[in-house]
Amino acid sequence: MNKALAVPPVGPSPESLPAGEPVDDVFGAHRGPLTVTDDFTVLDDPVEQQEFTTYEPAAEASPGEAGVAQSVLLVQGMYCAACADTVECALQDLPGVESARVHAATRRLTLRWDPAQARLSDLAQAVGRTGYRLLPLQQALSISERLRETRMALWRLFVAGFCNMQVMMYAWPAYVAKPGEMPADLEQLLRWASWILSVPVVTFASGPFFRNAWRDLRLGHVGMDTPVSIGILVTFLVSTAATFDPSGPWGHEVWFDSLTMFVFFLLGGRYLEHKARDRTAGALDTLMNRLPEVCDRQAAEGRFETVSVRRLSVGDVVRVSAGQAFPGDGAILSDSATVDEALLTGESHPVTRSAGESVVAGSFNLAGPVLMRVDRLGRDTRFAQIVALMEKASTDKPRLAVLADRIAAPFLVIVLLSALFAGWYWWQIDHSKALAVAVAVLIVTCPCALSLATPAAMLTSAGALARRGTLVRRLQAFESLAGIDAVVFDKTGTLTHDRLELESVRAREGWTSAMVLSLAAELAQGSLHPVSRGIVAAAKLANPMEGAPSALGDCRELAGQGLQALRADGTVVRLGSASFCGLAADTANETPKAYLADADGWLATFELREGVREDARATVAALHDLGVQTWLLSGDRQAAAERVGREVGVGAVIAGATPERKLAELEALQAKGRRVAMVGDGLNDGPVLARAHTSFALGHAAALAQAQSDYIIQGGRLMDVVLTLRQARSTMRIVRQNLVWAALYNAVSIPMALVGWMPPWLAGLGMAGSSLLVIGNALRLAGSTRARA
Amino acid sequence: MDILYLLIPLSVLLVFVIIGVFWWALQSGQFDNIEREGERVLRGD
Repeated sequence: MNKALAVPPVGPSPESLPAGEPVDDVFGAHRGPLTVTDDFTVLDDPVEQQEFTTYEPAAEASPGEAGVAQSVLLVQGMYCAACADTVECALQDLPGVESARVHAATRRLTLRWDPAQARLSDLAQAVGRTGYRLLPLQQALSISERLRETRMALWRLFVAGFCNMQVMMYAWPAYVAKPGEMPADLEQLLRWASWILSVPVVTFASGPFFRNAWRDLRLGHVGMDTPVSIGILVTFLVSTAATFDPSGPWGHEVWFDSLTMFVFFLLGGRYLEHKARDRTAGALDTLMNRLPEVCDRQAAEGRFETVSVRRLSVGDVVRVSAGQAFPGDGAILSDSATVDEALLTGESHPVTRSAGESVVAGSFNLAGPVLMRVDRLGRDTRFAQIVALMEKASTDKPRLAVLADRIAAPFLVIVLLSALFAGWYWWQIDHSKALAVAVAVLIVTCPCALSLATPAAMLTSAGALARRGTLVRRLQAFESLAGIDAVVFDKTGTLTHDRLELESVRAREGWTSAMVLSLAAELAQGSLHPVSRGIVAAAKLANPMEGAPSALGDCRELAGQGLQALRADGTVVRLGSASFCGLAADTANETPKAYLADADGWLATFELREGVREDARATVAALHDLGVQTWLLSGDRQAAAERVGREVGVGAVIAGATPERKLAELEALQAKGRRVAMVGDGLNDGPVLARAHTSFALGHAAALAQAQSDYIIQGGRLMDVVLTLRQARSTMRIVRQNLVWAALYNAVSIPMALVGWMPPWLAGLGMAGSSLLVIGNALRLAGSTRARA
Repeated sequence: MDILYLLIPLSVLLVFVIIGVFWWALQSGQFDNIEREGERVLRGD
């Protein structure tokens, strides 16, 4: 989203809403916690829409129109990649829909639509007809909805598990009794009892499988649950026939124990998967759910009233109590505040902000109530930009996932055909075994492991990095980063700070450098010029004891020239450029200099230089250890660039480069077969960042939406480049493991089931186990950044 | 042995009773936050 976000001329005008009711009454009922009624009108509420929708202004060609809106919604009732297709297809052809993308692992839909042509509630209804529900993201993440889902899942799992346990006990005598040992009527009683307990397992606990399969059937697809449902139904019907008509054509074998057991295993797998997915999404949620719902706004007469954050406007003064998050970006009005900006830096250090300094939405106030003036709200805050970025990344489909999705559908058709074939083949050899083999083939296949393998691992990594303050713009970037063997650094603002450091001091005979430094610092302390701040910082470092009262008076700053002040004896001291001090400039080298002069002329020369970031050297060394070569690409003069290059230990330095030359150098590297990552400040080197295989932007000055890079390091630690590189490499390792596992599992288990070596219960265990293994393997990535940090 | 003809139907009934009890426990929120008891040692009060 490179375009500026504009406040919308919201699509459905108030006139298009149900007649006779004022707008606020229609939506008034939805204030506070959201409730979505089945007619989805809440999706059209302009105030609520801000929560999940961004607007882009129309193209210049058609200024009269409202432009395009982009909404991120949650799809309820989704289990696999095929479901994602269904929702996308349902939306694609509707008028007013520009594009719809669903991400299977997070169940999130990114919808681009035209507010002039469509209403969100109509689109949601169209999706509703295919059997899914669209929910506003805020609502779906809210506790009540998730609680209901979890309770229901647990309830199904318990019914299946408990009935299964009891059916096992009824089945046991039939396994151990020798022929004729058990009275026929007792055996029949046990079968009836098993049948009664299997009914709730099939009709209730297996509900989700049937519902999904039915939906796929109606839409003419084959989904992940189709084979499972056929397996459950066939087993149940055959066993039922055998129970009530033992001499009938279906034989007299019953499979209630296998049936309940594999339903239990499958549900158990689903349940744990659901929990794991909540945890993956949880990493994003902790980031997103930071803003308070309500806050205390100061009313005109000075008292405080509690209002919804959505009703705040720019310029409001709010009181934020200790432990609360700031509701918007703004300025501190109290004397000082202690805040936790882990949101930006990934580190929970308390930071002190004094009156007038700015705080960002989503950071926490740690001590005492603080008054703040709100300067930016909602979509304009840095917090919202971070969230939007993460949302966008989480609906991104990396190349490998697209590939897996494409394989899944034909794969399932093949499975159905081979089950049919296996059943027919075994029927001719052994009636009693035919059913077990066919069902085992249906149950054992696990395309879900294949389609979850990539997104699960990449999303977990993205969440782990986000908690450290590094944002990932595209999931695909993990694949590009893992393969790089060269890193190109920009100099200013990347390897160096923006601020200057004092390098050397030369002083007149009779003055020590400490004396001139403290005099210069006295002059400079009120100034914000980088040179002044460098001198003040150096003086503080040399003599941390403050407090000598200033002996200077009438201190003035002349912009672009320097500072001057009067000494106690009435003579003038000056700090600044050579001409300002009445001196000849020293042209021995080109480092920035400041001169100090008094009535007797030259007093001292201060040489300054760019300060190298503390962790730059360690970062470059760590990159070399990882087998990555480093370059420094700078537009600065040769001498300055080389000095920084030497200091940091970078492999090669290319100085004096114009933006075109930078691009050419990068392309030359790439032509030599290097895979290059570019590290810059995200603002100046747009084309170069975009041309590199992958790119990092450093520093928090950059507006997130405009940064061109794949990774954005907000904490300002260069070392995070190394950390992200390691994370990307382990991510791709896990992705490869997952894909290999999923392929191997299917390649081994299906033939085994076909030749009849796999009983249905083992098939159920295998399938549940294999998706869990994939998710569990991916979750290992969640903790890995912390361990290395 | 004859007692089995009573006990087996009874056990089926018992399963339904237990499922019912679990449903009640679930709906009254007893499983909503099972980490809570474990976290209690970390709390002051």
